[in-house]
Amino acid sequence: MNYPVWYVPSFGGGLLIALVAIVHVFVSHFAVGGGLYLVLTERKAIREQDASIMAFVKRHTKFFMLLTMVFGGLTGVAIWFVISLIHPAATSLLIHTFVFGWATEWVFFLVEIVALFIYFYTFGKMDDRTHQIIGWIYFGAAWFSLFLINGIIGFMLTPGAWITNNNFWSGFFNPTFWPSLFFRSFMSFMLAGCYGFLTATFIGDETARHRMIRYSGIWALSSLALSLPAGWWYLSVLPLQAGRLVSGASPTISNAVMVGAFSMAALAGLLITLILLNPGARTRGLIVIVMIAAMGYMGAFEWTREAARRPFVVNEVMYSNSILKKEVERINREGFLKNAKWVKHKEINADNQIEAGKELFLHQCFACHTLKGFNNDIFVRTRNMSYNAMRKYLATIHEKRYFMPPFAGNESELKALAAYLTNGLHNKPLTENAGTGDDRGKTLFEENCAACHSAEELKPKMAGWSREKVRGALDRLPALNPAMSDYTAPPADKDAMTVYLFGLNNPGTAAPGVDKGATLYDENCSSCHSMDQLKPKMKGWSLEKIRSSLDSLPALNPSMPDYNGTSEEKDAMADYMSRQTGGAK
Amino acid sequence: MNPSDLIPVADNLTAHWGWFQFLLMLTFPLHLFAMNALLGAGMIAFVSHLLPGRVHHELSDELAKALPFLVAFTVNLGVAPLLFVNVIYGHLLYSSTVLMGLFWLAVIPILIIAYYMAYIYDFNFKKLGNLAMFVLMGVLALLLLVGFIFSNNMTMMINPSTWIRWFSTPGGTLLNLADPVLLPRYIHIITGSLAVGGLFTAVYAATVLKHDFEVSEAGQRLGMRLFTWLTLLQFVIGTWFLLTLPQEVMKRFMGGDALSTALLAIGILLAVATLVTGYQRRVMISLWLTLPLVYLMSFLRDSVRTGYLTPYFDMTKVPVDAQWSPLLFFLVTLVLGIVVIVWMVSKLPAFKRSN
Repeated sequence: MNYPVWYVPSFGGGLLIALVAIVHVFVSHFAVGGGLYLVLTERKAIREQDASIMAFVKRHTKFFMLLTMVFGGLTGVAIWFVISLIHPAATSLLIHTFVFGWATEWVFFLVEIVALFIYFYTFGKMDDRTHQIIGWIYFGAAWFSLFLINGIIGFMLTPGAWITNNNFWSGFFNPTFWPSLFFRSFMSFMLAGCYGFLTATFIGDETARHRMIRYSGIWALSSLALSLPAGWWYLSVLPLQAGRLVSGASPTISNAVMVGAFSMAALAGLLITLILLNPGARTRGLIVIVMIAAMGYMGAFEWTREAARRPFVVNEVMYSNSILKKEVERINREGFLKNAKWVKHKEINADNQIEAGKELFLHQCFACHTLKGFNNDIFVRTRNMSYNAMRKYLATIHEKRYFMPPFAGNESELKALAAYLTNGLHNKPLTENAGTGDDRGKTLFEENCAACHSAEELKPKMAGWSREKVRGALDRLPALNPAMSDYTAPPADKDAMTVYLFGLNNPGTAAPGVDKGATLYDENCSSCHSMDQLKPKMKGWSLEKIRSSLDSLPALNPSMPDYNGTSEEKDAMADYMSRQTGGAK
Repeated sequence: MNPSDLIPVADNLTAHWGWFQFLLMLTFPLHLFAMNALLGAGMIAFVSHLLPGRVHHELSDELAKALPFLVAFTVNLGVAPLLFVNVIYGHLLYSSTVLMGLFWLAVIPILIIAYYMAYIYDFNFKKLGNLAMFVLMGVLALLLLVGFIFSNNMTMMINPSTWIRWFSTPGGTLLNLADPVLLPRYIHIITGSLAVGGLFTAVYAATVLKHDFEVSEAGQRLGMRLFTWLTLLQFVIGTWFLLTLPQEVMKRFMGGDALSTALLAIGILLAVATLVTGYQRRVMISLWLTLPLVYLMSFLRDSVRTGYLTPYFDMTKVPVDAQWSPLLFFLVTLVLGIVVIVWMVSKLPAFKRSN
């Protein structure tokens, strides 16, 4: 709310950050581990007085320099550029809190560049001992860069005591600092082995090639083995909510973890096969697969770390949409728009409700949701919901789904956002308090149809229609008369209107309980599940099975929250769902 | 809508603002030195391609070897001042960055391509033959484009009255092209960079390349010529730039602000002095006059920024929550880092020989 938003509706900034970050970590970790690999491999060449290994080290250094210094260095700057564009408030927080950490990291970056240039350009032109020392200086500076960045990145997931004391060192040496440092160090050594693998296949001399492939393989495999306990240690110190997310409460995160685990297994398997079974083969294709697997392992870890702090960008401090946790209460009291800088509508009235709602979407939802884009599309996710359901959902969105930030703003702002998401996006009616009682269908009819049709006029036209025919007609109004527009309300509203319209010619058929279950379903489930999606899944379920499932939703899927309705409400909802899915009685 | 209403609230500082201002003023000219050397060496190498003979060909080849180093140090030495700009002016910078997001992001791929092209130019100089000149031209064009994108952001961040355009164009496609100051400012800095870069090339030719007398001479001649002529031209461009500045900013240099006026006067005197020494081809004296001149010019640049921001932002008013140990940690690391770098450089074979 403090900053403008880079708004390209179909494109989500979060995805861009993830892409740049994953590409960067893959190279930047190599920049660390590769330093150790170079200096130790050079030592091996010196000790064994092996010219072919020395030639390999020199060639590998050139590749290393061109990859890490150009691509690695600039993609690191790219992350800074991207986050300041997509998360300016969070970037500002990180820059201000850790400015001297960043500045220190810059010193190491400078030392790295000088050391690497000298190391590469003085191969064979400097005495071995000094050349080795330069190599060690490079590795030391690179590792300290990792040390520093690791502290700041860890802070975003586990700010620890910083939240209360705002102390630099409390934030830096945060609860995940050490496990993450170990894990990243081993990952960097593993990547060094992988890259070594790749360049070793280009060695012309067969014996030397085999030796270096085996050497690199042992590097990668032993680092991988060491990274496992470090990774486990890391997971065990994650805070409660983050730990829950990682262990399955969020479908995307559990997927990421699965991908990580699988690619790691694939990687280990391939490495072992490569080294033990067939050390003599030219295995470049296989090594590319090893590299992809390594990228998957690393990528899954980074993705998990990013996702585990949801709904925060800095855990327990700032939500993903840049709103500070400590400010939410005040914003709820005073209003969001009044406190926001980059909004046109400071007050909401009947004329600007949708426009103001759009501004609220931009500042509170767009950080994670695209509009008709390929990432977390808000259009798809809101299409099943009515205005009323959306209002109720937004009011408790953070409680219902922990990884969504709470809505911050006053009552009229919440309504404006709900209006934009339902009416603005889907042209759904803004029926306030259609109610759950007997007259809901009548109210809906009045709001949506009465401008052109009176009930008296329709009654003779629908004489003899079955309930199903009425319901079906509401799904395709333009087919009845091309002048009529689609009625885009959710199924529950259409059901309610059907009861009313059918009742015009069949008095006494309206069943009050029908509406209640539908409404409850609409308000509590429809944000994630449309009835059409559920029907095939619940085919053949008995009423009892549906009813008992409502008591233990997380057992069906760990990412579903408990439904905390009353026993009577659950009965009504089960009854409705059973009828909709054609369940056995 | 009042532009002031759009300006984000600045986050608290963790040390007195003077520290950040000092570090910014200290490190930004270092970035300029590297950037100037990069553009200047590139330009002289390019001109050498157009001139006949072995000597010019050799000179291009020698300068080609320096380009990748210069790209690396330009980027690295740009990180530090950009960090301190983020600290003092981050709330303004991020706002204008969002407005021009697409162009801002483009800086990275453009730099990566330019960087790799510089390596291609260096490593394959002989293999490329006549193509080398075109590769170099590509590098220079891309670098000038990066400079233009930076100029847009640096002028837009100090001009909140242009920000209102975001409401109709929020897709990150805005530039600051309508600002009459943009072009003279950009041309002023590029001309200055090429001039200083020409001088650096002459220094490089006079020291590192002195083993080949003819190449060294050619480098000095071309470098000093570029330096002198562009410095002369700069008097015209600088005046143009000064006159396009908004009245209240321009007045700072016309007696409105004593320090800014004095700095400008000293700057002009130094520039005149370099013209004389440049014309006489006295390379080292020109260098010792130019280094403080670049510092002075960056102070003047800062004064322009302060002038623009006077109605909107005063860094001395930002609350400070001081924490001394991180600052100390940085300063100690910086000193140690410099010691290590000096030690490493002293071990270079070239240095050992000359000692």
